[in-house]
Amino acid sequence: MFCYQCEQTAQTDQGAGCASQRGNCGKDEQTSDLQDLLIHAVKGIAQVATAGRSLGVSDPVADAFILKAMFSTLTNVNFNPARFTRMIADAAVLRENLKAAVVQAASARGVAAPVWAGPAAWVIPEEVGELLAQAECAAIRAGEDQVGADIIGLRALVLYGLKGVCAYAYHALMLGQSSQEVYAGIEQALDFLANEPADVQSLLDMALTVGTINLSVMALLDAGNTGSFGTPEPSQVRISPVAGKAILVSGHDMADLKVLLDQTAGQGINIYTHGEMLPAHSYPALKAYPHLVGNYGGAWQDQQKDFAEFPGAILMTSNCLIEPGPRYRQRIFTTGPVGWPGLRHLEDHAFAPVIQAAKALPGFAADAEEKTITIGFGRDAVLSVADTVIEAVKGGAIRHFFLVGGCDGADSGRNYYTDFVEQTPQDTVVLTLGCNKYRFNTLDLGSIGGIPRLLDMGQCNDSYSAIQVASALAKAFDCGVNDLPLSLVVSWFEQKAAAVLLTLLALGLKGIRLGPTLPAFITPTVLQTLVDAFDIKPIGTPEGDLAAILQTAAE
Amino acid sequence: MSVHAITLTTADVQTFSFDCDEAESLLDAAARRGLTLPSSCRQGACGACLATVQQGEFHRASINEKALPQGGDTTPILLCSTYPRGEMALTVTAQSAQITSGPVPVRSAMVVANDDIGGAVHRLVLDLVADPVDGLGAPFEAGQFMELEVPGTQQWRAYSLSNAPNWDGRLEFLIRLHPDGLCSQWLKTRAAVGETLRVRGPQGAMVLASDSLRPRCFIAGGTGLAPLLSMARQMAEFGDSQPCHLYFGVTRQQDLFALAELDALTAQLPSLQVTVCLWEASEGWQGATGSPVDAWARDMEAGTVRSPDVYVCGPAGLIDAVEKTAQQVGIPTKQVFSERFLPSS
Repeated sequence: MFCYQCEQTAQTDQGAGCASQRGNCGKDEQTSDLQDLLIHAVKGIAQVATAGRSLGVSDPVADAFILKAMFSTLTNVNFNPARFTRMIADAAVLRENLKAAVVQAASARGVAAPVWAGPAAWVIPEEVGELLAQAECAAIRAGEDQVGADIIGLRALVLYGLKGVCAYAYHALMLGQSSQEVYAGIEQALDFLANEPADVQSLLDMALTVGTINLSVMALLDAGNTGSFGTPEPSQVRISPVAGKAILVSGHDMADLKVLLDQTAGQGINIYTHGEMLPAHSYPALKAYPHLVGNYGGAWQDQQKDFAEFPGAILMTSNCLIEPGPRYRQRIFTTGPVGWPGLRHLEDHAFAPVIQAAKALPGFAADAEEKTITIGFGRDAVLSVADTVIEAVKGGAIRHFFLVGGCDGADSGRNYYTDFVEQTPQDTVVLTLGCNKYRFNTLDLGSIGGIPRLLDMGQCNDSYSAIQVASALAKAFDCGVNDLPLSLVVSWFEQKAAAVLLTLLALGLKGIRLGPTLPAFITPTVLQTLVDAFDIKPIGTPEGDLAAILQTAAE
Repeated sequence: MSVHAITLTTADVQTFSFDCDEAESLLDAAARRGLTLPSSCRQGACGACLATVQQGEFHRASINEKALPQGGDTTPILLCSTYPRGEMALTVTAQSAQITSGPVPVRSAMVVANDDIGGAVHRLVLDLVADPVDGLGAPFEAGQFMELEVPGTQQWRAYSLSNAPNWDGRLEFLIRLHPDGLCSQWLKTRAAVGETLRVRGPQGAMVLASDSLRPRCFIAGGTGLAPLLSMARQMAEFGDSQPCHLYFGVTRQQDLFALAELDALTAQLPSLQVTVCLWEASEGWQGATGSPVDAWARDMEAGTVRSPDVYVCGPAGLIDAVEKTAQQVGIPTKQVFSERFLPSS
């Protein structure tokens, strides 16, 4: 096992990376190796799919499989080795079926059939022991002795960014949104990796291409969310429990939430959102359900405490899952790409066991004191007051905007984000998205001319919304986005954040502050390249960074 | 009195630490630290609190020797009857999820069925009474056991659950009646539908290694079938696809029970094979003869199963025979899961 894809990766005397029997996320050696092997198999499908597209062949089943398979390997998504062996077996079948279609298409056109090499030609063993014996050749650092750590790190940057892209694309697909252009882009990028690229510039170019694909994917997901549930609107969300039976829905998949709301309607069960599901309360079609009563708990890393204390059933729809504790192991259910050995997994929206568990469990005995927060400042809400905002900037009432967002995590260094937001001057506005917001979303920062100083824009994928707002403001001020009084202070944890970061870089945004630590797969050489091109920098102290940002803005 | 540092590592490589003085059992010291480790009789008789010493000196109180694995080059102990004499490092077969905090829950349950299912075995079905923490849920893991307080006696007896975890509050047990058994007498003469009793649990570390991809062999002697039936039923519910083979043995044909349940299970779990064995086969018996260990050993020698996880429940002699065979055919100790349930009195 070797894995360094997330922020919590082990830091030892031998360097960064989880390389023992069990990673810091809880993923065991066998599952980690199977994830690498699945990625190898997926690269093979992508090679064949890319060749197929040039011959007019595409396979929607294979396209969708790539998304779910890649998503399953994200940090804190799927820890169940049995699910990975099944997916690898499925990958073998899909790839061979696609190959047959490609050969047939080539023959029909009178051209030579492609010659398969690399992962496309991999003979995938059926027996688990034989499969695992080949894990080394599929490992992220395979070939490092030939190409060096910089190339391996850049390949990792492309792969991890692609994982995030696939995860978002999977969410969009669940809302009925897909794009052949996106599928082709993802498959071309995987095909590129399958050919073991070793040129720094082409790898950097591909990383930015992945960022561009992700912008399209976030647009798809945005269309999926707003098309299905309406435009997010500023909304008060209760964050304290009410009496009654209860189900807690975690993850990001609002399609799952919608189905569960339908299935529980009129059954006397209250539905609570957890973590990144919080923005659901701002969508008109979801907040209309009277039994969507509120948000419960903190960010994902608090779940072992929050879930243990929640007196109902729990549904995990996507990342981030941590090893379930004994107190709630029998009442947490997984769906979609998520999995943990021994937990009940529900497919195809068959949520009856969750509902049965919720009815059997006691639920909340009484109403807690009412507490609320305000969310729902998506691009439409912000841009609806664009004139006020622009006037406030021009008049000096708003000196600067900070976008403080991304993933949260357990690292104590993440207190930086709380301190940073607390210390922002009164004439500044904080935009936030992702679960990093749980560090400060109960703070009362007040308002400027009726505009709240803390604007929650939604999930991490609502970076798309933030980009739209920034672009609109830049147009209004007749300047570039980098010239706006806007600074990005981003926290990362896993691969969705890597995809968003690549999107921001692909859009040419400069001066992003990234923390709490830099990705382990970014070598010093690669970091210098990114610094030179994008002025990307690690976070320092809240006081120092705030002073530097505001001083630069004043110049 | 000296106090010593104890570290305990679970099967999923999670480490727990606590202090223990020389007059305190390891089990009690862990409980004082808030860790409830798998255990049952807590007096060295049942073997439910089995652990292996990796390092350290200790004093062992008098115990039932049948509660410990026989042979092998490890140092097994019972946590309830072991007192440290220096720092100790221990391993247990339990997963970290089986180590809970606080006391083992005690709940009320009502008898909903008490049926003689043949072979002097009763199928006892209880429904939990809703409580403030778990409501109606029966949050056990397949393979675990509960203790029942035999009504009117204040005596507790441990029995494995034979059904899968559920949200109906339902607990099912397969209990062989013994002529002088306390619970047997209750089941035979007094237990009636509607009667309530206290139950304590769930407890026990013999649960499915759900992260393992290996084939599974279940070896049951008599009512040792119960926890293995629970596991296979959970596999059916979860749609587990790995090959599994249940070897179920009793002494004579008239001792057989639950065959209809096994037939139903094979229909629900296509990857399950069942071999029923009689130690004393009667004329016309079409099944296997000998012990279930013999039948399993024959399959291992024939190579029909490769390096399985082995789950065994039954008399101590059966477990010893499985462990010996496992050693002979090269199955690592960590792939053999057993719980030595011995008579409580």
